[in-house]
Amino acid sequence: MKKTLLFICLLALSIGKTVTQSNNHLAASEAIFSGTNEVGGVANDRNRAVRSVGFQEKEISDFTLRNVDGRMVSTANFPNAKGFAVVFTCNHCPFAKLYTERFNDLHKKYAPLGVPLLAINSMDSLVYEEESFGLMQTRAREAGFQFPYLYDAAQTVGKAFGAEHTPHAFLIWKTAGKWLVKYSGSIDDNGEAPQNAKPFVANAIDDLLAGRAVREPETESFGCRIFYRK
Amino acid sequence: MKNLCLTICLGVLAAYTSNAQSYNPLWIPDTLSGTTFNLTIRDTFAQLVRGNQTITGGINGKFWGPTLFFNKGDEVHLNVLNKLNEATTIHWHGFHLPAVMDGGPHQVIPPGTLWQPYWKVTNNAATYWYHPHLHEETMAHITKGIGGLIIVRDAEEAALPLPRTYGVDDIPLVLTDRDFNTQNQFVEVPYGDSMMVNGTLRPQTSVPAQVVRFRVLNGAIERSYNIGFSDNRPFSVIGSDGGLLNAPVPLTRYLLHAGERIEILVNFGGQAGQSVDLKAYNSTLAQNVPGGDLFPNGPFANYLARKDFNMLHINVAAQTAKPITAIPTVLKTNVLLNAANANATRKLSMTDTMGVTNPPVLGVAFVINHKLFDINYIEYKVPLGNTEIWEINSTSNFGHPFHIHDVEFNILSVNGAAPPAAQAGWKDVVFVPARQTVRFIAKFEDYADVLHPFMYHCHIALHEDEGMMGQFVVSGASATGEPGKHPDFSISPNPAQDKIFVKMDDPDTEIYYLKITDAVGRVKLMLPQPQLSGGVDISKFSPGTYFVQITERATKKVLTQKFVKQ
Repeated sequence: MKKTLLFICLLALSIGKTVTQSNNHLAASEAIFSGTNEVGGVANDRNRAVRSVGFQEKEISDFTLRNVDGRMVSTANFPNAKGFAVVFTCNHCPFAKLYTERFNDLHKKYAPLGVPLLAINSMDSLVYEEESFGLMQTRAREAGFQFPYLYDAAQTVGKAFGAEHTPHAFLIWKTAGKWLVKYSGSIDDNGEAPQNAKPFVANAIDDLLAGRAVREPETESFGCRIFYRK
Repeated sequence: MKNLCLTICLGVLAAYTSNAQSYNPLWIPDTLSGTTFNLTIRDTFAQLVRGNQTITGGINGKFWGPTLFFNKGDEVHLNVLNKLNEATTIHWHGFHLPAVMDGGPHQVIPPGTLWQPYWKVTNNAATYWYHPHLHEETMAHITKGIGGLIIVRDAEEAALPLPRTYGVDDIPLVLTDRDFNTQNQFVEVPYGDSMMVNGTLRPQTSVPAQVVRFRVLNGAIERSYNIGFSDNRPFSVIGSDGGLLNAPVPLTRYLLHAGERIEILVNFGGQAGQSVDLKAYNSTLAQNVPGGDLFPNGPFANYLARKDFNMLHINVAAQTAKPITAIPTVLKTNVLLNAANANATRKLSMTDTMGVTNPPVLGVAFVINHKLFDINYIEYKVPLGNTEIWEINSTSNFGHPFHIHDVEFNILSVNGAAPPAAQAGWKDVVFVPARQTVRFIAKFEDYADVLHPFMYHCHIALHEDEGMMGQFVVSGASATGEPGKHPDFSISPNPAQDKIFVKMDDPDTEIYYLKITDAVGRVKLMLPQPQLSGGVDISKFSPGTYFVQITERATKKVLTQKFVKQ
């Protein structure tokens, strides 16, 4: 990737040698700072819509992981579940911590409708002391998690989903006896101000419960990166 | 596209003229002083634009880190705790210190690890900085916002009538730019569309109506900033990277390159109630200067390319109680290095590659001395005490800011001409213009260590990550690790292929622990109370440089030697 950047750079250099130099300084009232979206309208088209190309509804096998209450939880043991909101989160990530209440709300609203929430910690607990099972139990208790908080000690479930960050949300749905991923990305689009956020996960669940296709099946996930052991 | 730009320009102009609240107050980084500094690096987030927060990296905070105050002569101790999910390093840019404390690509701090370098501050009063330097990840980690300023004070500077009330009449300005995607997240690109000062978009600040000092750092990935004021008022450059100049140099423009710092004085006396903008006059930059290169599209295309743009809106307020009202005429008498005293001249090349064969490069990359960076390869062994001229001959079609670790230097010439007055002091970054030659002189004193190298590289983080970097060690009779000088133990054969044999000079030494680490400090082997008579199997190691660390049982002293695995 980086090689490509340089390559392009040099190519452009070689074709862009003729340069008009000007010593005119713009008038004092000129106030261009930048092209941020905050100023109104971004000019950086190159960042748009990179991820929405070709979303794959990949299949996820049933998985079984240990919950913070010590019991094993398996997707196979929810005969009435239509789907699951699977959220990858962890103990220490400041951005993931913002979502505790929203996880509880999602679970409270959608579990009775057949879409429970499962939180999974796939962080490398050998590297990060704060991600140990013991501290997961403390975190679930102190934060008042109303949903299972599962320990993916071998990181196999995180890898199967392709979870990249905490938080990273997936919606899986029972389709012809299989779990298919119907949504991947952020929980919503505002970490600190849920009242202003567009609730991607809730919208996706609503779409499926209403028998519609998910309108926005993929958004960007960001937060603390999950590193997988080799 | 033109219409879009016009709309934005008009929009911004309208916002500017009608509503001063479109500015954000300039953030001034917190300060830490004393001799022990605790820095915790974290993955975090910050509200930088409207809407969702941006995932950032902070040191003791949300974006960028505290400004550290050092006193020349103090031994400073840094406690650097890496709470990122990944390894990083922290380099003390501009400081003369032991290579093992330098925080370059060799001093990797794994996640969850505390790194505790310390050294005696011998640098002059000036503005320095700290930033990540993990090879191939420098751009990524700097983009997150990891870094901070260091202000060194000394008696000479303290005796001068200069502004030094931090954040009031002595204001740090960290210039950089970033790109935000539609989800408000940083994009790792060499040029951002959005100018930031101290992590603030569209900043404004108040200054008192008197002489004000700005400490300006170019902390960008690639862009140079041709700084000046919107009313073309003169400013006086009083300091370069590594110290005060002999006398203030009045200018109306200064082209500041990545990694470089200047300190300037601006007289706002009698201007209370007025406003002025600090701008980047980049419309005059050429295609071969970072920030002057125009691209219609692709990853180098950016909104600010070859434009004049505002960096900071300045409102002049009331004078403070004890104002500095005049710019001093004389600062200090720098004793610069004399080219006649040089023991050696080293000639370095900067090229746009082609012909790199070891390793072979597909495509094009900028390189020094016709090779990509190899962490196991030491290009130069500089004898301790040497005064050296480094001559950098560029045939590159692009200009590159060259930075060397360990020393501050004096520029001798840029394409044969003496350096401009504002650069005729102590420097650690020099811009090597496209297809020109730069010569500088430096003295390599103290800290001989043939085990741990210092870096020299292009300070454009993308180029450095790509391999535009090399290494030197300082050698000498007293050098750490010099064979025969610290006769604690020896390794044979060296280079080795399958086994190494460790021989203690004193055969009665009891070894508590033997550890082998690779060139970046990854532990490859740990042997408690090892039995060494049969040798140590290294047949599975990949080729490279390795360090054997032996801890003595009685004293717990750690002895180190290195070997090369073939």
